[in-house]
Amino acid sequence: MYLFWLVLLPLLSSIVAYLNKRQLAAYLLGLSQLLLFLMALYTAFNVYTYGNIIYSFGDNTISTGINLVADKVNIIFILLSSIFFPIMLLFNYHKSYMNKLFLFLFLVLQGLINGIFLSNDLFNLYALIEVSTITVSILIMYKKTSHSIYDGILYLLINLVSMTFFLLGIGYIYKIFGTLDLTLIKQQLTHVTSTPGLILPYTLILTPIVLKSALLPLPRAHGTPSAPSIVSSVLSGIYVTSSLYLFIKIQDTFSSAINTDSLFLILGFTISILGFVLALSQTDIRLILTYSTISQVGLIVFGLSLSSDYSYYGSIYHLLSHAIFKSTLFLTAGMIIEEYDTRDIRKIRGLFKRMPFVTIVICFALLGISGAPLFNGSISKYLIKKGSDSIQLLEYGLIIINIATITYLMKYTSMFFGNSKKSKVPPKNQKIALILLASLCLLGGIGGQFFINWLFDLNIQFEVLHYAEKFLVYFISLGMGYLFYEYIYKKSHFFQTIRQLELSFNELILTITLFFTGLLSYLLLVQ
Amino acid sequence: MERFFNGESISILIFLIGVYGLLARRNIIKTVISLAIMQSAIILFFLTINYEDGRIPPIGDVTIHTAVDPVPQALMITAIVIGVAVTAVSLTMFISLYHHYGTTNWLKVINKRRED
Repeated sequence: MYLFWLVLLPLLSSIVAYLNKRQLAAYLLGLSQLLLFLMALYTAFNVYTYGNIIYSFGDNTISTGINLVADKVNIIFILLSSIFFPIMLLFNYHKSYMNKLFLFLFLVLQGLINGIFLSNDLFNLYALIEVSTITVSILIMYKKTSHSIYDGILYLLINLVSMTFFLLGIGYIYKIFGTLDLTLIKQQLTHVTSTPGLILPYTLILTPIVLKSALLPLPRAHGTPSAPSIVSSVLSGIYVTSSLYLFIKIQDTFSSAINTDSLFLILGFTISILGFVLALSQTDIRLILTYSTISQVGLIVFGLSLSSDYSYYGSIYHLLSHAIFKSTLFLTAGMIIEEYDTRDIRKIRGLFKRMPFVTIVICFALLGISGAPLFNGSISKYLIKKGSDSIQLLEYGLIIINIATITYLMKYTSMFFGNSKKSKVPPKNQKIALILLASLCLLGGIGGQFFINWLFDLNIQFEVLHYAEKFLVYFISLGMGYLFYEYIYKKSHFFQTIRQLELSFNELILTITLFFTGLLSYLLLVQ
Repeated sequence: MERFFNGESISILIFLIGVYGLLARRNIIKTVISLAIMQSAIILFFLTINYEDGRIPPIGDVTIHTAVDPVPQALMITAIVIGVAVTAVSLTMFISLYHHYGTTNWLKVINKRRED
């Protein structure tokens, strides 16, 4: 009954924040965010005790109404978003651009993202994604520097174009099934005998989702360098998560008719390596993080396509962990850029002496992302690896991805060393927000076993010997990553050429069209 | 002949014209126009779904057998509203881009951006 409040409450609070004075609005916002978190917790409790909750608008029959569904997977993401957004607001509390309009847009985005997670109707999803695209692009260009305006308009138009593909796909789906509800489509798909008719709508719907979930390595499409740092961390953290959740949902719906697991297994691996090459070649710290997102998304898709329960839930856990450590990295990157007044990693030195607190927080996030034992990344990477046990080749693939991750993180750590004078301590609200995020990184690792058992009903046991082995593997990967960075990266000119690469708008559209035609012809050939 | 020239094939043709505009034109205004062309193609596509000759619009007191399927029409009203909003936002953004860079060409914008 109350499911729609998870979407409506942030929207209402955004209007309240816009209309009231700053001091009062801050209290009201705090209150509404607390209420939202409690509601999400209550819903999660209900879902885990009594099963899925379905809320149907208007008409009470499921087939004709627009449905919101809370199940065991998406409620975790709702919980994540209701923890994530208050932390972001807390972090940005004292910023000068954080005025009424910014708050309004930011909270609207929270409501829309919750809507994307809950919605089970394709057209509803289209409307939500379209509006969130507009909101995000306005947030990107909020500071109105000339760089951010270009980034904003590019982001807007690319995503709008891809969403027209989505809408056309919806048209085909409605023509074939006479409904737009994903559960009903899945039910009807079991009766379908001939699949070729489904390939076109499937490809049309999947292309924009693949674009939005950072699977196409389009430069500057995610966590654009000129945007405010909390916008980047929302984009790379929770917004990519929502698109990947859609990817999971669409794949699940069509799985009985169209199987693309092997394609996405290869694509995930390739994207992961491509993201690594692009991340390593950049000198802008924001861009390193952006491409690192692409690399991690590759790993997640790789895990999702392994067709094993362990790696499937491992990927979902990695999606959660990724949202946390990547947002930590983006927030701290914003602080570093403010302090040094440059985004160039070669000019930033002596971070440990200048900002010791920030450096420690970054270390936590880096340990998480590289899968160090006791941190959240290790649990998810362990689960993905467990799913690939049967085939030796896949296991090697995972090790390569992990060494690649460590290599570009080596580059990121290069700014820690050197001499510099100590700067003033960061404001209290930023400190609290960062401590919260860093402790979530650690908590996700230490309590990982408990969370996995509780959330996904998967029984995993870790022994002491196992930890010893993990430490050993981690240190060997660390060593190899270091060697690669010192002896291959520094002496090669290959990476410098890649750095110059920048696609124009037309070339970006061409990439999307090529991906679409490629996927279409692959499916037509295979089926 | 009529079998091939139905709403579906025409709308896909218009959609592809839009895609061509996006791929081949470097003018930002023309990009926005191409986007609008694609949207109108989709509207045509939706309206011809499940359409048969002799059906009447689903307004007022009509029996189910004679009226067309109302769902695509309802969806398209929403899509038209979204389309208008989207065009307005992209043109507004274009105006601010034009104030900063003084050009309507995507490539020239990139070149000027590099110089900054």
